[in-house]
Amino acid sequence: MLFNSLEFAVFFPLVCALYFSLPYGSRTPLLLIASCVFYMAFIPAYILILALTILIDYFAGIYLQRTSGHKRTALMWVSVISTCAVLVVFKYFDFFADNLVGLATYFGWQVTNPSLDIVLPIGLSFHTFQSLSYVVEVYRGRQKPIDDLMTYATYVMFFPQLVAGPIERPQNLLHQFGEKHDFDYARVTSGLKRMAWGFFKKLVVADRLAIYVNDVYGSPQQSNGLQLTIATVFFAYQIYCDFSGYSDIAIGSARVLGFRLMENFKTPYYATSIPEFWRRWHISLSTWFRDYVYLPMGGSRVAKPRWYLNLIVTFGVSGLWHGANWTFVVWGILNGVYLVLSLATIRARDAVMGAIGFPAESVQRKIVQIGSTFALVCLGWVFFRAGSLGDAWYILTHFWQDWDFNNVRTEQFLLRQMPVAIGAIAVLELGQLLHARHPIPAIFSQWPLPVRWMSYATLMLSVVLFGIFRKGQFIYFQF
Amino acid sequence: MPPLPMPPPKSSLTDAPASPSIRAAILETVLTKRAARSSPPAGVVRIALFFALVVALLFAVDRAIGHGLRKVETSSFGVTNRIVAGKVNADIVISGSSRALSHYDARLIEQITGQTTFNIGRNGSQTDMQLAVLKTYLQHNTPPKLIIHNLDLFSFVTTQEIFDPAQYLPYLDEPSLYAGVRRVYSDAWKWKYLPLYPYVVADMRFAWIVGLKALAGFHPPEDHRQGFVARHTAWTGDFAKFRAARPEGVTFEIEPQGVRDLAEIVEICHRARIPLLMVYSPVYHEMRDLERNRDEIFARFRAICEPFNVPIWDYSESPLTQDRSNFYNSQHLNAEGAAAFSTLLARRLATTEISSVRVTQHTGTANTARSTP
Repeated sequence: MLFNSLEFAVFFPLVCALYFSLPYGSRTPLLLIASCVFYMAFIPAYILILALTILIDYFAGIYLQRTSGHKRTALMWVSVISTCAVLVVFKYFDFFADNLVGLATYFGWQVTNPSLDIVLPIGLSFHTFQSLSYVVEVYRGRQKPIDDLMTYATYVMFFPQLVAGPIERPQNLLHQFGEKHDFDYARVTSGLKRMAWGFFKKLVVADRLAIYVNDVYGSPQQSNGLQLTIATVFFAYQIYCDFSGYSDIAIGSARVLGFRLMENFKTPYYATSIPEFWRRWHISLSTWFRDYVYLPMGGSRVAKPRWYLNLIVTFGVSGLWHGANWTFVVWGILNGVYLVLSLATIRARDAVMGAIGFPAESVQRKIVQIGSTFALVCLGWVFFRAGSLGDAWYILTHFWQDWDFNNVRTEQFLLRQMPVAIGAIAVLELGQLLHARHPIPAIFSQWPLPVRWMSYATLMLSVVLFGIFRKGQFIYFQF
Repeated sequence: MPPLPMPPPKSSLTDAPASPSIRAAILETVLTKRAARSSPPAGVVRIALFFALVVALLFAVDRAIGHGLRKVETSSFGVTNRIVAGKVNADIVISGSSRALSHYDARLIEQITGQTTFNIGRNGSQTDMQLAVLKTYLQHNTPPKLIIHNLDLFSFVTTQEIFDPAQYLPYLDEPSLYAGVRRVYSDAWKWKYLPLYPYVVADMRFAWIVGLKALAGFHPPEDHRQGFVARHTAWTGDFAKFRAARPEGVTFEIEPQGVRDLAEIVEICHRARIPLLMVYSPVYHEMRDLERNRDEIFARFRAICEPFNVPIWDYSESPLTQDRSNFYNSQHLNAEGAAAFSTLLARRLATTEISSVRVTQHTGTANTARSTP
């Protein structure tokens, strides 16, 4: 079920009403049933895959507590490999098969492609990672295994964050299913406001920009340099608003029900460096890779070359997590290289900034840093969005060519939509800046009730009128 | 991504003036004060009241937009508004797709024939939606002396996605238009009954702004003259791209439903005893080489028209088709081409006389001869 669907508009109030009406003991089963309904709205049969993952890791957690030594380690690996096997089969099998067949053909061997050609279960990478983190945390002794299968299943399937995160850790979420969440007007309305902001990001910004981006990236060879540039900047905002919008709706809807999910984004495009960008972007995934991939490889507590290699490998794996395509791998490795270069050149960049008269903490330096970080991130997004490495290369080598200001529109994106798209981005930035200085709900709360309600209602109406409601899936669902 | 041995940024645009902890404290204070004010039942009632206000607002704005669009006097909305208000009542009515819309200059035809003429052609429409528009016209206006229906090689293709749906949105209470839309979208009931739904789901052209502006008395620029739209456009590269993409040519589908729709137009006119003239208006001659099943389609046209003695005037070989300067793409005449074609057609109508079309129906003499203008 999509958050931006009529079905969800009926589903969510109904679940809330039942949740707060039922006795505490019946609420976790209700959430599990609701989560099943939510997930089965996509492809019902795929719930069996989810069930398999849940059973593997649930029993692994129980048996990990009862074993020790090598047996315990072996059990952990069996669980991890079994869970990952599901991911590999559904997400990566065709990719690896295609590449191996391609390689074989290159050497002149005739091989039949064993492609499975199956639809990827939505959000598979997210709930797989959430499930894995439970097993590893139990193995490390940081989390007590849970013996209640229903609670564990609800932890993995909790519908607000089931298909696109935030990827929660058991220490943060699991115990919340045992808490008593009463109806709290302040908390509920705070959650609803967070959801409304998420809907604005998704419907008004992301989905409108998507029209332009899809047209241009769908056939980059038909577009001029100006269109390629606009589409790339638009994609930067599209993916941010799409994914952070989803996170806002997830966090908001969980808050309505009384649950606290971790923050996933902290205005990443205000980062002044690539390392800072990655501390602000998709935080739940970044910390997952930090804890379960980067640190086990040695992290930064190794010789410098090895440290740099750890970074690049971690980002390469992260790229592959995003999609079974070389474009994602290159995107990941490129970001790893960015990070290494950023670390290796801190002093040199500092010296250059000082030499041109931009002292530390000056506004000028900050503007340059934010601008250059954004530009580098955008270059990375080209690989992320392009359909193939060839397309990405074409775009990167044609940015500056043939800027035709009379030919800005695309087939689907009429010129009259441009002011709305740019206006939406402006409202987004303004909202973020304003919120950073004074929380917007606090400002509204000082107004008299009729004014406040009319303001909220008008803002909601604006989202309805300026939004795109064409069943646009969230980008990160595919991962 | 991974943890880096770097301190967190000392300041950034997001946390410069107020630290996160201060912001959180302010928010917490506000939320606590609110919580104290609202017990659970009162809180539920307040939330329900707020959403009731939002729903009421949605209905009010929806009504305002619909009312505004039905007040528009210009553009395609102005044309439809005149049709449903029964203010057209023309002697000659031209129906069809965008080719009808931009090929038949109603004023020229009126000037030459002396008969009031109006063009109800629809941009991006197939025969199914053309039929819906024609039925709506006939429901609200006096029967014309002649209906000219423009034929296309894609006349038998049904609509898969309605082009510019906004042009139909304010008129979903018209049974024929609603039925036409429902045939394409099974969930068209949402368009009709959910407030603002069609304007935000189906329309990408901000028709709701046009509606709200019309309420304030601001109408869009007039581009329809008695329904006709002149395209002041030079030859584009569309045809070259089309030919490059399909050098082997194109086969136009003949869908049974499309055949039934065209036959229904003929039957409706027959029942209402309105003379009907089918016209295949000019297509750029180089396109002919790419039309792979043209003969089959024309055979179908004749099979539908001949039982009712409906004449077909075919301008496929008109000299107009040889001159690229008359077109802006292979299917559409530009303003100059449309003027030339409308003049030719009107002169022929004037000499044939509209009443004689009726005569041919009664005498059974089918006029299927190709036009030699």
